[in-house]
Amino acid sequence: MSVLATIATQALELAQEPLTAADEKGIAGAAGAGMAYGLAAIGPGIGIGYLVGQAVQAMARQPESAGTVRTTMFLGIAFTEALALIGFVVFILLKFA
Amino acid sequence: MLHALLLAAEEGGAEEAASNPILPTMNELFWGAIAFGVMYFLLAYVLLPPVQRARNDRAATIQANKDAAESARAKAVSATAEVSDQLAGVRAETVTMLEQARAEAEAERQRLVSRADREVQAMKDLVESEIATEREEALATMRPQVADLAVGAASKMTGRQVDLAAVRPLVDRYLDNPN
Amino acid sequence: MIGLEYPPIENLVEWPNYFGGDSFWALNKIGLISLLAMAIPAAVFLFSKKELVPRGMQNMAESTVEFVENQVILPAIGRDGLRYLPLLLSLFLFVFIGNLFEVIPTFQMPANARMANPMLLALIVWVVFIAVGVKHHGLTYFKDIVWPPGVPVGLRWFVGLIELITVFFIRPFSLAVRLFANMLAGHILLVTFGVLCIAVFTAGLIIVLLPLTFGMLVALTAFEIFVSFLQAFVFALLTAVYIDSSLHPAH
Repeated sequence: MSVLATIATQALELAQEPLTAADEKGIAGAAGAGMAYGLAAIGPGIGIGYLVGQAVQAMARQPESAGTVRTTMFLGIAFTEALALIGFVVFILLKFA
Repeated sequence: MLHALLLAAEEGGAEEAASNPILPTMNELFWGAIAFGVMYFLLAYVLLPPVQRARNDRAATIQANKDAAESARAKAVSATAEVSDQLAGVRAETVTMLEQARAEAEAERQRLVSRADREVQAMKDLVESEIATEREEALATMRPQVADLAVGAASKMTGRQVDLAAVRPLVDRYLDNPN
Repeated sequence: MIGLEYPPIENLVEWPNYFGGDSFWALNKIGLISLLAMAIPAAVFLFSKKELVPRGMQNMAESTVEFVENQVILPAIGRDGLRYLPLLLSLFLFVFIGNLFEVIPTFQMPANARMANPMLLALIVWVVFIAVGVKHHGLTYFKDIVWPPGVPVGLRWFVGLIELITVFFIRPFSLAVRLFANMLAGHILLVTFGVLCIAVFTAGLIIVLLPLTFGMLVALTAFEIFVSFLQAFVFALLTAVYIDSSLHPAH
């Protein structure tokens, strides 16, 4: 947000001056940040949905093994979610670093 | 709004150059390492062993109690079996005694009844024989008179003399068989 | 128009030092939370009585130990993993209490939303599972990873390369980043809704929008408590799985 604020204020104050290299990097970073997180969330979203659905099916078929299935499900979610989280870290890096 | 944005921009811009929100800082690493190290050594060597000992003691106590209860139950089961065995024996004995008593009573009854029957029969025989002798006597005394009366009555009605000796078998037959 | 002033991220995650200036031993809020995350479980364990029938703090301590044993160690490693109970228990408690400060008023900051603690713990786990592998299998531990038996020779170098990268680089990296990014995302989410609540309040839209934003804030707080627990659980569970793959590598 601070980058956007910088851009906004500078754009207001120095409307006639051309954008500097830092400003262009900020704009590209903000746009890229949104893209990075949005794209990174697609795959893990599908993956976690499929994974949990299958786990629920397994638990419904064999309720006695629900504990094992739940543990394995959390493990799988942790692995799948890592991709989305790396996307989130990239978002933070592009946006703020 | 604009003023606030300006302020935010100034603040953000000033600090942004110095730091990256992702990289770890030295002092946080230092204190985290101290905290985790102390925690691991406290848990591993000071705090966890008593808790584990308490849990093991509890498990042992529960196991011992369970074993004691199990053995007590087994003992109770065997005692119950013993008592029921005894009970069955007593019951069988009672049944045999009862059977015996019943048989004895039956025999006694049979004996008494047959004796009474015999006595009654003897008395009846006696009485019957007495009656028969009485009757014989009565018939014997009655017979000549009846013959006489019959002969007399016949003589009167016919007007002639009826021979007594001739009539006698007739009268006897009649008296012996009145019908 | 709602005057939405979102604070810069440095104001959300970076805290001034209480003392120490710029030195490496300067204590700030994250350090304080780390120390509390050590002290609170230690106090619970220290002051729990050791009675036959547990109650209160003893119940808490023992059910935590039991949870780590039954839900983390036994499913992931088995009975021979009970040796690693102190390590896994301290990892679980340190991460969990550190995360829980995300929703504790006046702190409102998970210690693991800074990279320091996750990186430290991931490095410790990395060292531990490599040490366990070397201790139990010697140098064949490394040989089995880069030259895995039971794979066709043509593919072996490729699988070995992937295994090498996965085991020695991706494992610690994903372990640290998973915890860090989850907690940072949760923290930013809570801040976002907190800022939104304040903006709605100052804009005078109290009856119209505040119930929605505030309800969302409460729901997210509950969700973040769940995430705090889940991330601690997943951290301990993954550590156990890595230790298991070092103990019994032939799968």
